[in-house]
Amino acid sequence: MKLDRRIIFMIVALAVVVPLLFPLGLPVAVTDETRAVYERLERLEQGSVVMLSFDHEASSLPEVRPLAEAILNHCFRRNIRVVGLALFAEGAAVGYDILHDLAARHDKQYGHDYAYLGYRPQYTAAILGMGESIREVFPTDYDDTPYDDIPLLREIRNYGDIGLVVSVADGSLPTYWVEYAQARYGQEIIAALTAVMVTAYAPYVDAGQISGVLGGLKGAAEYEILLGRHAAGKRGMDAQSLAHLSIAVMIVIGNVVAFGLRRKNETTEAGGHSS
Amino acid sequence: MLRKIPVMVCAVCGVFMAAQYFIVSGPVSQLYGTVLDWMQIIFVCALLVGILHVITRQIKNISRPGPERWYAMIALFGIALMVVLGFGWGISRGSPFLWVFDHVQAPMQTTVFSLLAFYVASAAYRGFRARHAESAVLVLAALIVLLGRVPVGEIISPYVPQTVSWVLNVPAVAAKRAILIGIGLGMTATAIKVIAGMERTYLGSGGR
Amino acid sequence: MSDIGIWITALATLAIYSFLYRDNPFYKAAEYLLIGLTVGYSLVISVKTVLWPGLVLPLLGGDTAKIIPLVLGGLMFIRLVPKLGGWSRIPLAVYVGAGAGVSIPAMLKARVLQQMGATMSNVTTISGVIMLVGVITTILYFYFSREQKGLLQPVAKIGTYYMMIFFGATFGYTVMSRVSLLIGRMEFLLGDWLRLIAR
Repeated sequence: MKLDRRIIFMIVALAVVVPLLFPLGLPVAVTDETRAVYERLERLEQGSVVMLSFDHEASSLPEVRPLAEAILNHCFRRNIRVVGLALFAEGAAVGYDILHDLAARHDKQYGHDYAYLGYRPQYTAAILGMGESIREVFPTDYDDTPYDDIPLLREIRNYGDIGLVVSVADGSLPTYWVEYAQARYGQEIIAALTAVMVTAYAPYVDAGQISGVLGGLKGAAEYEILLGRHAAGKRGMDAQSLAHLSIAVMIVIGNVVAFGLRRKNETTEAGGHSS
Repeated sequence: MLRKIPVMVCAVCGVFMAAQYFIVSGPVSQLYGTVLDWMQIIFVCALLVGILHVITRQIKNISRPGPERWYAMIALFGIALMVVLGFGWGISRGSPFLWVFDHVQAPMQTTVFSLLAFYVASAAYRGFRARHAESAVLVLAALIVLLGRVPVGEIISPYVPQTVSWVLNVPAVAAKRAILIGIGLGMTATAIKVIAGMERTYLGSGGR
Repeated sequence: MSDIGIWITALATLAIYSFLYRDNPFYKAAEYLLIGLTVGYSLVISVKTVLWPGLVLPLLGGDTAKIIPLVLGGLMFIRLVPKLGGWSRIPLAVYVGAGAGVSIPAMLKARVLQQMGATMSNVTTISGVIMLVGVITTILYFYFSREQKGLLQPVAKIGTYYMMIFFGATFGYTVMSRVSLLIGRMEFLLGDWLRLIAR
């Protein structure tokens, strides 16, 4: 069945727009994977340091922003200190904005409760280098303040002073955190991933190399529920559901039509042979 | 000389960086940190070479007739805008550089990638066919995950999300793990060939 | 977000979405502007946050150890002069060699040994056995040193089913990811721009 692709585009657009205009309020259940990440952060002692690495491009912002916000809300609420950095150039500006916004919402003070180191290229070298000395890799923070002039950073030498690394990623960066920070220095890692990357990291979680995975807008929505909040991730779940449903229905219709055509062709061919 | 020296440099750097993994000593760690620092500087310089190449290419395109000329001008305008704003007013909070990033660059990038939502739906309708047993398994797995990872799956049946969890944590992990092991062995073999000088494609055509 | 900022963002978004109808000059102009901005952004961030604090400032402060990375980085730029381009192979050799060296032990440990260990760790459960069968049969599918016939053929075939499950699941998650991006843009257009929904 020939169908103008623009009709399919319209169906997808409507499946997203209609529930945003008229929310359905579908219930969001929390998965074990998200709960595991939440509980790991709950077990961190107050005052310990989480390193939040913005390992993504700006293109995945609608997914990574709710993920990063969920983690930061949890950290700041529990008085866990945060050191931000970026291993992708575009993650640098995104991380800078998100970290300052969330810190302002929680009345956190720069240099004491959080710090932002900025961007370092060549992630293998950066991750390995921080295992020896974070100061050597980041002589200054994003705003050019020397490392030793920031009280929080003065306390941190290398991974030994970091409780947990959270890689907010849209690609293969958590693999490098596992291979170079976890395997080499024993650093515990959590990955907050865009949905497209979730299946790629399941073996690392199964092997205990990554302590947990928070996946996509759905993962952020689940985390917000655990935090007792209602924000961007949860709002989009109705639209996400309807869009998935519409695509699933299109796959089924496409297969039914193709099956029907195949049967018809076979019957015609059989008829042709017999005549 | 410009073929032999790089191969030797590569071998020395490779052997040292592999060996340092097993050596815990102050001077070795220091040298290791220094080489990592060099890698970052080389990477940034390589990036800048690429950027200069893009700029010269766009400048050349301006002299061409047709609409390409105007598009090249727009690209050069974008580069010039960020360079002037970034070096002129800085990159801190509230800077015009970050304003352009937040209001133009980031939303446009996101929009480009969101176009894929439409094309993936179109491709799913046209190409996702259960023609034989393997492709039927592929379609079924996709449908289960599509429905099971959003609230609508829980409404259909509480078993749908549970099935998805099992599929993701057992058979999907098995396949991905086998691929990971294969890639790991393959990359290790390639790395050894690079260090031993048997693989020289990184040197370009003159390296052979 | 200021009103002018919202309008600029909305127009840029619509220019890109116009591609859904067909390729057009508005989309093309937006595409080239995006290329320009991205290149300019990378240039500024790389120089201001990496080269300046990591190389220039230490050199100005008399750190002579930074002369070596300065020379290596400088040799990369010689690539732009075709006759002298061969010299850029030296920093490339440092980069490739060091990268290959660090990857060998890390790769073997994290991707091979730890993954193999995890496969063997719970073979006493049904899921563990299913996992073990999947890993072995999928690896055998990629065994190309001899022709896949006899016993190897059906065993490798089982591996393909495991891979189809993985690829199908990945496709499902890919759809999820792209739809999330679309939701983000629609929330902006309907909320921040048209103010039809609360943000």
